[in-house]
Amino acid sequence: MSEPARSRWGFLPLLRWGAFGRSWRAAPLVVTGLTLFLGLLAFSWLGPLVYPRSPYTIHPHALFRAPSVRHPLGTDDLGRSFLARMMYGGRPSLGVAIVGSILALLIGLAYGMASGLSPVWLDRVFMRILDAILALPTLVLMIFFAAIVPLRPLSLILLLGLLSWPGLARIVRNEVLAYKGRDYILAARQYGAGTGYLARTHLLRSMFPVVIVNATFTVADLILTLAGLSFLGLGIQPPEPSWGGLLGNGSNLAITGSWWLIFFPGFAILLAILSMNLVGQGLLNRLEGR
Amino acid sequence: MWAMIMRRLSVSVISLALLVTLVFFMIHATPGGPAYSILGSHASPEAVAALNRQMGLDRPLLDQYGIWWDHLLEGRLGYSYIQHVGVSRLIGVYLDRTLALDLGALALAILVSLVVGLLQGYWADRLGGRIIGFLQIVFYAMPVFFTGILLIYVFSIRLDWLPPGGVGHPGWVGRLRHLTLPVLTLALPVSAGFSRYFGHQAREEYRQDYVRTARARGLSEWRIATRHVLRNAVRPFVTLVGMMIPVLFVGGVLTESVFNYPGLGWLLWRSALDQDYPTLSAITLLIGVLTILGNLVADLLNSILDVRVRYE
Repeated sequence: MSEPARSRWGFLPLLRWGAFGRSWRAAPLVVTGLTLFLGLLAFSWLGPLVYPRSPYTIHPHALFRAPSVRHPLGTDDLGRSFLARMMYGGRPSLGVAIVGSILALLIGLAYGMASGLSPVWLDRVFMRILDAILALPTLVLMIFFAAIVPLRPLSLILLLGLLSWPGLARIVRNEVLAYKGRDYILAARQYGAGTGYLARTHLLRSMFPVVIVNATFTVADLILTLAGLSFLGLGIQPPEPSWGGLLGNGSNLAITGSWWLIFFPGFAILLAILSMNLVGQGLLNRLEGR
Repeated sequence: MWAMIMRRLSVSVISLALLVTLVFFMIHATPGGPAYSILGSHASPEAVAALNRQMGLDRPLLDQYGIWWDHLLEGRLGYSYIQHVGVSRLIGVYLDRTLALDLGALALAILVSLVVGLLQGYWADRLGGRIIGFLQIVFYAMPVFFTGILLIYVFSIRLDWLPPGGVGHPGWVGRLRHLTLPVLTLALPVSAGFSRYFGHQAREEYRQDYVRTARARGLSEWRIATRHVLRNAVRPFVTLVGMMIPVLFVGGVLTESVFNYPGLGWLLWRSALDQDYPTLSAITLLIGVLTILGNLVADLLNSILDVRVRYE
C-alpha cells in the first residue's frame, strides 16, 4: 500500500469506453460487474421505452398468467404486466440505494477528513464515537426507524445514508493518516496551502481509488438493505413497485405456484448485489496488485 | 492489556448509551406521540391528553428521558398495548426460539465451511477450487429472503416435504422439521463467508513445508487434512465468529420474517408493522445490546488469544 499514487491510478483507463476488450482482459471482474449493473440500469430506465405498458393498469381477465409471448414475465395477482412492474421497480430499488450511498459517502468523507486532520486527542474522540456507532446493528435500527418515519423515497434515502456512513468514515480517516505525513503534502503546506485545500485536492485525489472500492460495496449493501426493508413492507410502499416489494408480494402468493413472481425480482436483486460486489472485488484485486 | 480492555469497554458503554438515547428520542418523535399508537389514530384530543397525563407523557422530555433510563436499568421494558402483555414476558417466549435458529445455523455453517474450506484449499488452483470460489461469491450475495422463499417454493409447495413456516407442535421432531428450512437459509450466507475465510487459510497451510514433509512421509491425504491443515487453519476461529455475528443476527431477523418463525426478529418485524412502539423499542434495545456484547466478547477473546500467541 506504500506504492506511489501512480500505480493506484492504474485501474482508471478501465473506466474509459474505447478499450473494452483490453479492459476485460486486464480486469474481467470489474468489466463484467459494470456491464451487468449498467444493463440493470438500462432495463429500469430505458426498458419502458421499448415496452411501454403501464405497471399499474389492472387486467381482471388476465390474473396469474405464466410468462408467454403476450406477457413476457407473466402477470401478477391483479393482472398487471410483471415485466413493466419489474422495469419500474428497478428505479427506486437502484436509485434510492445509489443516492443513499452518495450521501453516506459524503458524510463519511467529511467525518473521516475531520477526524484525520484533527489534533491527536480530538481524532481519538472522533474514533471512539465512530467505534460506538459501528457496533450498532444497522438493519435493526433501520427497521426501527422505518416504523416511525413516513416511508417515501426521500426519507428512505436519508435513512440509508445516515445509517451507513461509519464504515466509509473509518477508511477515509485511515487514508488521511497514511498520507498526511507524506513529503508532497508537507511541501504543499510549505507553499502555504490551507487544510481545506489539501483535503479537497491532494488527499481526496490520493484516496480516491480506495474510497471508490468501498463505495461500490456500500451500494451493494444498500441495495440489499432496501430490498430487505421493502420485502418486509417497510421500504418502498405498494402500489409503487420495487424489487424487494415485488418479491414480498410474490412470496405471499407462493402458494398459487406463481414461480415467476418470486424468481424474477429475487434474481434481479441478486444480480444487482452481485454485479456491484464484482466491481468492488475486481478493483480491490487491482489495488492490492493481485 | 488492561488499558486495551478498558478502552474497548468504554466503546461498548458509549454504544449502549447511544442506542438507548436514539431509541428514546425517535419514539418521542413519532407523529402525535405514543398516545395515538395506543388509542388509535381516531382518538379524540381529550382522550389523548388524559392518557398523556396518566402515563407521564406530558412531562418535560428530559424528565421522561431520566425515567426511561431508570426503568431500563430496573429491567422494566414497558407494556405492549397491542398484544396486551408485559414486554419482558413476551421476550422470554421468543428469545429461545431465536437462539435455537441462530445457534443451529451457526453450527451448520461451521461444519459446512470446514469441509468446503479444506476442499478449496486442497484444490486451490484447480477447477474445483474455482467453482467453490464462484459459488461463495454468489451465495454470499444471495439475500436470505430470496433463498428462503425459493426453499419454501421447492420443498413446501412443490414437494410438500417440509412445513413452510411456523414452529409446529411441541416435541422435538416437529420443531426440527420446522427449523430445517430456516436453518438452511440462514446458514447459507454465513457458510459462504466462513468457508471463504477458511479456504484462504487452508490454502496457505497447504503451501507450507510441513505438508510436503508429511506427504513425503507417506501420510494419507485424509490424515494430512484432518491432523495438520485443519488444526492450523482453524486458529483464527474466534475472529471469524465475531465477524459473522452481525450477519447472523441480521440474517436471523429476515429469515424469521420469511418463515413466519416467531422469534425476536419476527417480533421486531411485526411490532414495526403494527407500530407497537413499546415492543418495538424493547426488541431494538435487546438485539442492539446482544450485538454490542457479542462484538465486545469476540474482540476481548481475540486480543487475549492474540497476546497468548505473541508470547508463545
